[in-house]
Amino acid sequence: MTSRRSIRPLTLAALAAASALVLAGCTPAGDSPESSGDPVTGGTLVYASGDGEPSCLDPHVGGNYPQALIVGQFLESLVSLDESGEVIPWLATEWTVTDDGLTWDFTLRDDVSFTDGTPLNAEAVKVNVEHLKNPDTQSSTGYLALGKVDSVEVVNDTVARFHLSAPDSALLESLTQPWNAIESPAGIARGMEENCLAPIGTGPFIVDEWVPQDHVSLVRNDDYNTGPADRAHDGAAYLDGIEWRFIPDSASRYAALQAGEVDVIDNAQPDTLDQAAKSGSLVEIDAPRPGASNRIELNSGQAPFDDVRVREAFIRAADVNDGIDSLFFGTAERSYSVLSSVEPLAYSDGALFDTDLDAANALLDEAGWTERDADGIRSKGGVPLTVRFPVSTNQSIPAEQSLFEQIQATAKEAGFDVQLEPLDLSGWYGALFANEYEAVSAPYTKVGPDVLRILYHSDSITPAPSGYFANLAQLDDPELDALLTEAASESDPDARASLYEQAQQIILGGFYALPLYDQQNHFLHSPKLEGVRAMPTVSTPTFADAWLAD
Amino acid sequence: MPRSRTLRRVALRLAGAVFVLWAVATLTFFAVHLVPGDPAQAILGGPGSQASQEALDRVRADYGLDQPLAVQYLAMLARLATLDLGDSYALKTPVAELIGGQLLGTLTLALLALAVAWGFAIGLALWSTSAGRIGRAIAAGIELTAAALPHFWLATVLIAVFSTSLGWLPPVANDSASGLVLPVLTLAVPLAGFLAQLMREQMLEALEQPFTTSALARGETAAGIRLRHALRHAALPAVNLSGWAIGYLISGAVVVETIFARPGLGRTLLRATELRDVPVVIGVVLVVAVVYVAMTVLTDLVSRAVDPRIALEERA
Repeated sequence: MTSRRSIRPLTLAALAAASALVLAGCTPAGDSPESSGDPVTGGTLVYASGDGEPSCLDPHVGGNYPQALIVGQFLESLVSLDESGEVIPWLATEWTVTDDGLTWDFTLRDDVSFTDGTPLNAEAVKVNVEHLKNPDTQSSTGYLALGKVDSVEVVNDTVARFHLSAPDSALLESLTQPWNAIESPAGIARGMEENCLAPIGTGPFIVDEWVPQDHVSLVRNDDYNTGPADRAHDGAAYLDGIEWRFIPDSASRYAALQAGEVDVIDNAQPDTLDQAAKSGSLVEIDAPRPGASNRIELNSGQAPFDDVRVREAFIRAADVNDGIDSLFFGTAERSYSVLSSVEPLAYSDGALFDTDLDAANALLDEAGWTERDADGIRSKGGVPLTVRFPVSTNQSIPAEQSLFEQIQATAKEAGFDVQLEPLDLSGWYGALFANEYEAVSAPYTKVGPDVLRILYHSDSITPAPSGYFANLAQLDDPELDALLTEAASESDPDARASLYEQAQQIILGGFYALPLYDQQNHFLHSPKLEGVRAMPTVSTPTFADAWLAD
Repeated sequence: MPRSRTLRRVALRLAGAVFVLWAVATLTFFAVHLVPGDPAQAILGGPGSQASQEALDRVRADYGLDQPLAVQYLAMLARLATLDLGDSYALKTPVAELIGGQLLGTLTLALLALAVAWGFAIGLALWSTSAGRIGRAIAAGIELTAAALPHFWLATVLIAVFSTSLGWLPPVANDSASGLVLPVLTLAVPLAGFLAQLMREQMLEALEQPFTTSALARGETAAGIRLRHALRHAALPAVNLSGWAIGYLISGAVVVETIFARPGLGRTLLRATELRDVPVVIGVVLVVAVVYVAMTVLTDLVSRAVDPRIALEERA
């Protein structure tokens, strides 16, 4: 069993709760057959991903969700999360932090090797952190997560000491993420091109071959002896391997699952989930992504949303609930928080988001948007009340795009001219960089509430001229900045929770964002597949304990 | 004399081809850059990745994206002049390798679809020209409907019928030949509609020519005339249309390869366009242009073989 010496009683209690939750998390889509019992060894699982094909299998390069989905099968992290959000051991068995919060010691397992034979030791951790922090690696997500880590010192083979430039209460949460997973130093040394094709880790499977635009073949790691502390069984995986296919079209993906050509699909769309539930022959896993909820950010950095009354008017006018009910077939639940419901510190306030057309009209009158043209569009001093809303067709599923259209229609009743602009990914980034938007919806996945700092701290508003910024609401409030900065270095859990609650009250109360629902993450699989679960970290599936029943 | 004329024709063709490729590369380059967007973000992982300012600046400098557009354009021409297609921004691999790996799949799909479309079209044309007025009306209806079918719709219907309901064929491509049937049909049916329409009209026209009467007088059967004489007439414009068809099929491959999850140039192009992966976009477009030019030459040669009058007219 992993890391017995480090497990504290609290963790054990959480583990018990976690296993109950894992079972509850896998809700059958219908009257699916009961588990057939004992695990079966052998067989190749076919997984069909609609989340896009990674351009590099090393998650240190770039760092997005398609990478997270697959790398969890062959790479592992220092720590993980259990279902209650508690940090639990993985490659590291225990950790300590000094009182000033600047020095962290991670004790590693001493019986683990990468699949190329390289031992897992403190030197390997050091090489990984340096790889992540080296600009040549082109890391984005992992790089940001380790922003406060200055260097890693090798104390001895099993102890790696992290030196921080400032206390970071999110460090453990960041390290659970697949984008910060630990790879073989020898693998990294081969150079980016080779390492992108087949990174070498300690995970239950090994990358065998990647045929671009077709599939990645993964084979079992026979010597596998690790896994997060809440793993269901010891030793190697039951499956011989996984064929990881890329099937971009959602209807084809579902047809392939129905035809038995594939065993699991991700990105199951609302209509197929509805169909699957009715057919009763498939199993659904509903695992919302952590970090931010899906929400519409209102650009408070320029007119008209620099006026809180106009922001509130938009939010009061937009009817979200009816759209969610009709377009998502009951597969998505309305959120009133900017954080995902799986984040323990998420704070909601539904009262702020009641639809009320009269109130919206009164607010707009008060704000001076009193003229109306023949179409009912308001204007002020000849300037129409226009809301440019670029929509990324790569990131918004058709049901969500339809929801935006319903929001457009209901906001028009109050006098808003919402201009939806469907754009491909690059064009969408372009519109944001050029500040040519008043409203926008952007997904953001990260473990822990520190995502609020990335999304709403004024540091994340664009520094001209070159570009990217995460604070799309352009929220610039010194009081909020102070709360988020303090929370990021606060080590006392209660104080931290209170700071994040105050921060969320400012964000919600200022009507900077219209929360919609959790980031949807639904998997459908054949009833033959058992023992699969979504990791509590970033909700990616793991097949370390899965088997295909006959 | 004929020999130097042939050489001149070849030289002119080659010069024309180089001009076409230069124009295609230039248009594509500026078209990709005219659309707003930032390739640096895509290089760093695209949707959902969280790039820092430092990383973005670094990537812009590394890939020359901070250079003026004119400099980037000249650098691209210089590269292309040495037959170097460059490296993909997103995939970090040479574009030539990337395309090499995908070319065969798309060409197989396109050529099979072309062959199947010809088969359908000839069958339909031969049948309809012998089936009287009602047959012709039915054929015209079939042709129009087929030609108007959008690929994505046809693909979805074929999957629903042949995979989900009947369970005869796999809904997504696999290693077996059966995985090719639905993608090929999706591409072939609309094209067959175009070709059949053209062939039927040409055949009917040919059957009214004086040579038909004389052949009948020599004792040829009606079927024999259609097969040996009218079909030859009808084939000529259809052969010319086939050069265009290759372009049509490769653009159709974008949809078909996505729906049936087949690797290929179409999917490569779609993804590269989304990411503003400029070297890949230009590489794919150039390769398609080369195939198109080659097909035009080929259809020209086939036309000459089918109808010797073309060469005679040129010489006169």
